[in-house]
Amino acid sequence: MSVAPPIEVSHLSKTFRTTSGHQVVAIADLDLRIDSREVVAIVGQTGCGKSTFFDLMIGLERPTTGKITIGGKTPYDDFEHFRGQIATVFQQDRLLPWRSAIDNVCLPLELLGLSEKERHDRALEWLVRFGLEAAAYRYPHELSGGMRQRVAIARSFVVQPSILLADEAFGHLDEVTATELRETFVALARELGSTAILITHQLEEAIAVGDRILVFGQSARLLHDVRAEHWPTADHALLREAIQVTLQTNVADARLARSA
Amino acid sequence: MLPERKASAYAVPRLPREAVIALVVLALLWEALSYFAPHLGIAPIAVPGFGKIAHSLASVTPVDVGVTLVRVLVSLVISFVCGLVLAIWFYRSESVERYVSPLVRLLMAVPVISWILFAVLWFKSTEFRICFVLVVTCGPIFMVDALDALRGVSRELRQMVRSFRPTPLQLFTKLLLPAITPALLTSWKINLSLAIRVVTIAELVGATTGIGHELAIAEELFSVADVFAWTLILVAALFVLEWVLTRIEARALRWRVS
Repeated sequence: MSVAPPIEVSHLSKTFRTTSGHQVVAIADLDLRIDSREVVAIVGQTGCGKSTFFDLMIGLERPTTGKITIGGKTPYDDFEHFRGQIATVFQQDRLLPWRSAIDNVCLPLELLGLSEKERHDRALEWLVRFGLEAAAYRYPHELSGGMRQRVAIARSFVVQPSILLADEAFGHLDEVTATELRETFVALARELGSTAILITHQLEEAIAVGDRILVFGQSARLLHDVRAEHWPTADHALLREAIQVTLQTNVADARLARSA
Repeated sequence: MLPERKASAYAVPRLPREAVIALVVLALLWEALSYFAPHLGIAPIAVPGFGKIAHSLASVTPVDVGVTLVRVLVSLVISFVCGLVLAIWFYRSESVERYVSPLVRLLMAVPVISWILFAVLWFKSTEFRICFVLVVTCGPIFMVDALDALRGVSRELRQMVRSFRPTPLQLFTKLLLPAITPALLTSWKINLSLAIRVVTIAELVGATTGIGHELAIAEELFSVADVFAWTLILVAALFVLEWVLTRIEARALRWRVS
């Protein structure tokens, strides 16, 4: 795995046109920088542009204006450059139903052109790390929700990416499983030296995992950029309250702007 | 521990007892009708007994059966490849689809008998005529089924695979093709039964070999027993091919929840 380069976002905007012809501004003039090996949580309310930012980060959408650069290259225009360097975990596991757990984990390695033996060995190694060796040859429908998400996380780690993105990846799981998986995810990202970006709408999750919390308001406006060293370790109540007030004010402002 | 093996939704169906009874009753009624036909004022030639049908079956030429089956299979493979290639092309380019799709719908509306007549008038080679008729009949069905299936591939799965940055060929082989396989197999089943019927008509009109041609000879000889024998062979061949397809389906789709 190469050293994770810094991520720079400058004047990033993304506008969609709805089927009725209206323009929706998902992201408006976003500027931020994420350093190498940082674990960043992006928190914001539903519809604030977090997922659009996720799509732009992985290079599946082209920015309307501005740009995202990772080590000087853009994920959309230099799509192939980032093969094996960026990996994602989605809200749903998105396992291919016709592949067994191990074959699902092998998928990114197949796309990288690794030999069958190497693919198998590496996939099995990651399944073992997630305690799934007994379920390696089961199909997704034979696994529980938590097991399926573990397979999905193993699939993202198997390429040992320099950048890991998780979009609400733990929100649909029960609290115990979500906490365990979240901690494992962050610990492994730190072990690999990857930059990890976790998108969530749960404040607790953001506070629990991040070196840094980016609070997005409507149209992905950056409301807060809080670093771990600046918040008290024992009691997060004040921080939580501050972010909640900021988010509520932002929602109220957006409503006022719309009605005006 | 792996879960217990469950009965698959794609298990090969066994002939139920009711079906066996119905078939045996039909056979007995037919044999009785054949026996009493002269007393009922029906020409015995019109209702041949099993003895005569068995005699005709014994004289069936395997070469003709083989020729018909090869024609069906080769034409289906060509239709499948053409249909799939067109479907992928339309899937990738909506503007192309907007121009070509109406033409494909037009092809699908043309009756088979018209295609046979066109083939006889346009082409000299018998094999090409038959292949042409089968391809223009089955190809559009493969195309429409494949295109619908391609469009039905989950957006979430496409996004997941694309996030790993595959080449277009990898996207097709790792995601699209396995995702549309169930629809393609269903399309094969539909087209197989259609092709068996169409090839018979095509051979009946313009071939000198094959089951259709033998049926034409039987008709000229007023031999209902021969017509029966060839028809039985045709139905049996269709059942065997469907069974093979079901086995392939059971294997290819073993991942499906039963």
